Amino acid sequence: MDYARSDTLAIKILIAGGFGVGKTTMVSAVSEIQPLSTEELLSDRGARVDDTSGVEAKTTTTVALDFGRITLREGLWIYLFGTPGQDRFWFMWDELAIGALGAVVLADTRRLGDAFPAVDFFEQRRIPYMVAVNLFDGARRHDPAVIRRALAVPGHVPLVPCDARERESVKEVLLTLVRHAREMSRVGA
Amino acid sequence: MAADEDPEPGPLVRMFAVTGGRARPVGEAFDVIAVVTTIGMPYDQAGLSPEHLAALRVATRPTTVADIGTRLRLPLNITRVLLSDLRREGLVSIDPPAATAGVLNERIYQEVLNGLRAL
Ligand SMILES: Nc1nc2c(ncn2[C@@H]2O[C@H](COP(=O)(O)OP(=O)(O)OP(=O)(O)O)[C@@H](O)[C@H]2O)c(=O)[nH]1
Ligand SMILES: [Mg+2]
Repeated sequence: MDYARSDTLAIKILIAGGFGVGKTTMVSAVSEIQPLSTEELLSDRGARVDDTSGVEAKTTTTVALDFGRITLREGLWIYLFGTPGQDRFWFMWDELAIGALGAVVLADTRRLGDAFPAVDFFEQRRIPYMVAVNLFDGARRHDPAVIRRALAVPGHVPLVPCDARERESVKEVLLTLVRHAREMSRVGA
Repeated sequence: MAADEDPEPGPLVRMFAVTGGRARPVGEAFDVIAVVTTIGMPYDQAGLSPEHLAALRVATRPTTVADIGTRLRLPLNITRVLLSDLRREGLVSIDPPAATAGVLNERIYQEVLNGLRAL
């Protein structure tokens, strides 16, 4: 009973951000399994959140969800979940976020505002998070301080550049997040 | 991507076939990394789909919900519906993840950091 032993542990890390910001790429870069990218059918609850008119009561909503896994050792796994950080998907985030070690908010300097809802979500729920600025080709390099201010990210939250296609870069992002989560747990203790 | 080679109908079509259009699990909510363990194979398989039986076979070794979804190549929400059916039938147990953020301690953070560095 592998999981029943007290030295076995599954840890959840979330990858959030706007559409096309590199979430799937980031999960793929470090996952040891072919990342499962599924179209999740949202619950009735979710459909209703979207439905203001009542006309489309039977319409189903789908959202892409990426899932990847990293085995750190036998009995210690990191599970990565990537999904769009959009208002209408928050109820799904609420479920995913329970018990999560922390979250990476991916930001694209060309569409910084897309990262804001996710930043806001993790701020409000006091979930440790960091901002990883995905440096797309052709995107102008931005002053980190400017990005921080634009996203209203507090000074203690890590904000780092990354290349979601590079395994080493993604590893560095995850290390930064875990260090930050540890720091937060110390402060909170 | 495997999905490109896959001649099967899209996941949503499959899902409706698999869960009868249900999107919510029955009973108490459980985490995507909750651990599923098969208690026993069914005496009577009537009412169980091939996907239910496949999930039971995977979980003979305790397995997370997310990993079962990967093995069955089904969306997580669908996987949860199937697993909730199996729980209702008394065929699997579903236990909360071994630890949640609240109980992560200094030693675990250090172990995760060491593990990540060694990748
Ligand atoms: N130059 C550059 N391109 C990247 C980077 N990360 C992702 N891309 C590219 O950007 C495109 C979108 O990346 P995805 O990983 O599919 O983005 P996503 O967030 O999963 O997108 P959705 O699931 O549609 O919301 C792909 O063509 C990637 O190859 C990066 O760090 N640098
Ligand atoms: Mg994607």
